Amino acid sequence: METMKARELYSYYGKSPVLQGVSFDLNKGEFLAVMGRNGVGKTTLLKSIMGLTDRCEGGLAFGDREILGLTTPQRSRLGIGYIPQGREIIPQFTVRENILMGTFARPDGKRDIPDYLFEMFPILKEFISRRGGDLSGGQQQQLAIARALAMDPKILILDEPTEGIQPNIVKQIEDAIVWLNRERGLGIILVEQNVPFARSASDRFLLLDKGRVVLAGKSDELTDDLVDKHLTF
Amino acid sequence: MDVIANQLFAGLSMASILLMIALGLAIIYGAMGVINLAHGEFVMLGAYAAWALQTYVGIGILLALPFVFISVAVVGWIVEKVVVQNLYHRPLDTILATWGIGIILQQTVRLGVGAESRFVKGPDILTGNTEIGPLIMSNYRLFVIVFSIAVLAATWMLMTRTEFGMKLRAVIQNRGISECYGIEAKRIYSITFAYGAGLAGIAGALITPLFSTIPTMGTGLVVDAFLVVIVGGLGSLIGSAAASVLIGEATAIFSIVINDTLGRIAVLAGIILLIRFRPRGLFPTETRR
Repeated sequence: METMKARELYSYYGKSPVLQGVSFDLNKGEFLAVMGRNGVGKTTLLKSIMGLTDRCEGGLAFGDREILGLTTPQRSRLGIGYIPQGREIIPQFTVRENILMGTFARPDGKRDIPDYLFEMFPILKEFISRRGGDLSGGQQQQLAIARALAMDPKILILDEPTEGIQPNIVKQIEDAIVWLNRERGLGIILVEQNVPFARSASDRFLLLDKGRVVLAGKSDELTDDLVDKHLTF
Repeated sequence: MDVIANQLFAGLSMASILLMIALGLAIIYGAMGVINLAHGEFVMLGAYAAWALQTYVGIGILLALPFVFISVAVVGWIVEKVVVQNLYHRPLDTILATWGIGIILQQTVRLGVGAESRFVKGPDILTGNTEIGPLIMSNYRLFVIVFSIAVLAATWMLMTRTEFGMKLRAVIQNRGISECYGIEAKRIYSITFAYGAGLAGIAGALITPLFSTIPTMGTGLVVDAFLVVIVGGLGSLIGSAAASVLIGEATAIFSIVINDTLGRIAVLAGIILLIRFRPRGLFPTETRR
């Protein structure tokens, strides 16, 4: 059964179509890696899922609902946790407030922060009262993931979560993403430049070029030849 | 000495009125980056609402306050929904549009109620004065001062201690990501605009016993309120409070040291000088750009 199903998705900034007919399926509990060079529409794909582009056509279903007609807040309340490029935590909010903000997307209106977040990222517990803007890049990324998890999402969509982050935290974040998928059964759509990680962590991949899907398949079918052809400059 | 003490009290009284008007402006600017030129007319509507309630329904100013707040907030809510909401990405046009709305509101009242000054009676329980030695303080003005501090405190609590305030602060800092976490930014904006308008309405109702209630009464007041917002730092609550006291007192003191007209000039010159050296006001805050 598909959790998310995109059919012939066209997405626009102004008049220019950035995505041109993208289709994919995400099955329940599946891990999908979205890959491609810079500027091919990976971030736009995630933004289109959240309804953050100017216009979007085609078909996009989440569960059994068509969501292209929904606003961004409505989509989030269906259980799509978005972790954007550059993290976008709220700098003036404390760590606690940033995580609490995630709960605003809960349809049941609960405001509890789940304990496992702090077991996953102990540093957040230690810095609970610090302002988000005072954390390091890696800590902010952990905070952004914790914020998304606080809404108790059905799927997570992550945009280059390890970009520009100190190496010792990269491993921690990668492990957390894999753990969330394997142990907590969260569906994941991950935009990633780091091919070895994407290949080993994901079940299936989607390779984009110039706004179109050029290749899709099981991740173990993504050979080095294909990587050289589509992902090296 | 007596003159100075009494003048300081007059300045404080002026400050309390300015504060209530400026708070609404500061919130609307801080949250949405909208310079609301119809704000003076929201004050005027509040004053007329208080007058209408007293004249036709027979309830005094104090009891009328909740009704005035709600009715002017509803007007603000409609203005935001119909006009301002479509112009958030065109800040210059919001200035023109809100100015136009101000003129429409003013002329509507002029046509509907008439241009002549209306009288509103102050509440009976607050007549008379409190005297401390040579200092004579009108009970009603004392009440307005206390009330304005309460409004400031309530607004501060709303912004910092409630979930609505947290959502508003999130939207101010990053609208896109706030919406990704279930916050309806449009709704937050509408409520904020309505709240700011409602505060202006309350201010308008409270000043009816002190000012003449005429259709153009808001124009002069809103200029002073804008000065408060600019001096205080755009969007800052604490800044607005400090600036309203500063401007109220400066006006009062200059007007005894020199005279009213020259005092006014001196205050404006002082503000220009202050803005020259602190262009973002006394307490600058991060606002949406």
